[in-house]
Amino acid sequence: MKVLPFIYNSPKEYWNYFQPTNWLEFVLGEINPLYSVSTAKAKVIAIHSESADAKTIVLQTNRHWKGFQAGQHVPVTVEIAGRRVTRYYSLSSSPSAKNPTITVKRQKGGLVSNFLNDRLKVGDVIELGQASGEFTIDPSALPDKLLFIAGGSGITPIHSIIKTLAESNYKGQAKLLYFSRFKEDIIFFQSFAKLETGNSWLEVKHVLTDVPSPGYESGFLTTELMDKFVPDLKERLVYLCGPAPLQTSAKEFLKDNQVISELFLLPTQIQTNYQSSGPVEVVLLQSHKTVLLKGEKSILEELEDQGIYPPSGCRMGICHTCTCRKTSGSVTNIKDETMSDSGEGNIQLCLSRVDEKLELDF
Amino acid sequence: MKTISKKLSKAETEAFGAELEEIRKDVMAKVGTEDANHIKRVHKAYRYTEILGRGLIHFSFEPITFGIGTLLLAGSKILNNMEIGHNVMHGQYDWMNDPRFNSRTFEWDIVSDSKQWKFYHNYMHHTFTNVLGKDHDYGYNFTRLTDDQKWKPVHLTQMFSNLFLMFHFQWGVGAHGYRVEYMEIPKKLRKKRTLKEYRDVFFKKIELQLVKDYLFFPILAGLNFPKVILGNLLANMIRNVWTYSIIFCGHFTENAETFSPEEIKNETRADWYIRQLKGSSNISGSKFFYLMSGHLSHQIEHHMYPDVPSRRYQEIAPRLEAVCKKYGQNYNTGSFAKQFAEVWKRIFVYSFPNKIAKKLLGNVKEVQLMPEPQIVMVDTTSEELIPA
Ligand code: FES
Repeated sequence: MKVLPFIYNSPKEYWNYFQPTNWLEFVLGEINPLYSVSTAKAKVIAIHSESADAKTIVLQTNRHWKGFQAGQHVPVTVEIAGRRVTRYYSLSSSPSAKNPTITVKRQKGGLVSNFLNDRLKVGDVIELGQASGEFTIDPSALPDKLLFIAGGSGITPIHSIIKTLAESNYKGQAKLLYFSRFKEDIIFFQSFAKLETGNSWLEVKHVLTDVPSPGYESGFLTTELMDKFVPDLKERLVYLCGPAPLQTSAKEFLKDNQVISELFLLPTQIQTNYQSSGPVEVVLLQSHKTVLLKGEKSILEELEDQGIYPPSGCRMGICHTCTCRKTSGSVTNIKDETMSDSGEGNIQLCLSRVDEKLELDF
Repeated sequence: MKTISKKLSKAETEAFGAELEEIRKDVMAKVGTEDANHIKRVHKAYRYTEILGRGLIHFSFEPITFGIGTLLLAGSKILNNMEIGHNVMHGQYDWMNDPRFNSRTFEWDIVSDSKQWKFYHNYMHHTFTNVLGKDHDYGYNFTRLTDDQKWKPVHLTQMFSNLFLMFHFQWGVGAHGYRVEYMEIPKKLRKKRTLKEYRDVFFKKIELQLVKDYLFFPILAGLNFPKVILGNLLANMIRNVWTYSIIFCGHFTENAETFSPEEIKNETRADWYIRQLKGSSNISGSKFFYLMSGHLSHQIEHHMYPDVPSRRYQEIAPRLEAVCKKYGQNYNTGSFAKQFAEVWKRIFVYSFPNKIAKKLLGNVKEVQLMPEPQIVMVDTTSEELIPA
């Protein structure tokens, strides 16, 4: 075809140029915000308080959402002040429930967690991604003895797992050690009380770390506490989820155990001793801009500080929305402090700190 | 080129620049929900006008519905090109993190490839505004608009070539894009092949656009296809005339100044602001007019702050005008009729050699210098300021 060489050679690209999905998406969205051709969306049908600063959000999903396994998390996208932001939250309901739930604890200074706690209303529509994560339980090979250790909001995936165990007539023995700061801070207190009375295999111990209260254990993870609560520690498969300090101290005790753990942490929360040697030039090839970055935070954040907004999603290295081609220069991975080579390659802007003069295909 | 603005000292210029930075900071702090809602509303309007426009053209049996349909389609294309396309590609809405309004991926309904356009417009034109030889948008390499440009006999025809361009503006924009990209390669590195590669990008976009408007939609109408072809042709033309008119008013009015590459050597950010101000001109009008012009009615504000969401220019304008007054700087604005007439006068006058052009301009009112700046510059090195 000499007349239409480009369309002849790549008809698919031409078809995309018509934006068929965008059009359909637009029309469906005009009819009902929950309708979509490909995006998983969910309507908030109920919100209840779970503790002093955590809320459970009950969702009605559309048919694009493929469900989850107990213990998995899901990317949640909301629009805050005109901006789409994505964060990951563990699903707290059991997968068999008709309406999945997420439970969100306020994070100090956290944009999305505070938004979900304060501003989200019943009837709002939020965008979901597909569930993922390895913090799950294998129903075909359930161990006889389980130990769950959770701290703060780390309880959410564990709640989902224990509920699932209850539904599947678990025959073994499971213990949950749950650290909260004070009494009103305990998430799912009622739900666990109910689970404990209904299921003889489950034993729950609440530990308060900040404000002691009569009838509750208080303090941190100690040998004494462990010996008393789980004398048979060695025989147990351990699920561990909570803040970094808890995980570090727990792992001391669990050297001989099989541990499945999950750590939700923003890259910026990791302490580093890195000292920047001064601003570094970053050339943005496509936008024809050159900016100076300090190399103290992730490239994504430093660009945003300068009013440049590369596409981003989770901001913790999971979704790859922020992936960008680097044509030269080297970066350091914030998470594991490894340095990239200085050649061409794809980097995640939210995980990379600038080291030397960079050229980005952005 | 004569300037009617007061010449500012270095310190005055820096102070002027600092006031502009202040405005930027104030405005950027407010950018959020309202701006996101604005662009989404405009996007909705663009979708609906296109559906309605194409539908009416398609099912019309008499001239009135056909006419309305054509106008709606033209309006839709104008919204797509001006308020959405131009502004989105400046990155004004990148912060929304919405793929529909992302400057990297946006492609518009015009025969100009968005990547090529971003190079010659966002980078070349906005960095080197009105610098002869660097800003290829100044006269688009065929129109002579100042006595600093060398006269050639071909300029005698520029009234006609501009009239022609007006009706076919999108083709001019598209063809301009790949040539600028080529011209910016150092002469020694230019190869025939590279030009062909750039041109192919343009050709591809032409193909996509032509097939959409003149093949795909007409075929849907079956035997009625000539009607659909005509409707699309008219809609494209209305869009062309409109965008040409708005864009030419941006930099080619009577008092819009030009600069030489030497003048911009060692330019500071504040100098750059001054140049943007002197080189641009606004058009006053109604809110609807602002929207349909993609807020290029506020060309000065746009040039100062190309990546601030466009609807904010309306609130920046009075502040900026006040700052200009304070510093004795001309703030070039006027009605659409006035500005458009000035553009055509300039096109006409400079189609002649300088001698005649001067004579023609001689009849024009004497250039009035702006009043002295009403600012007092404090000498920070003065000893009185040093605490004892
Ligand atoms: S934003 Fe998700 S990987 Fe960087």
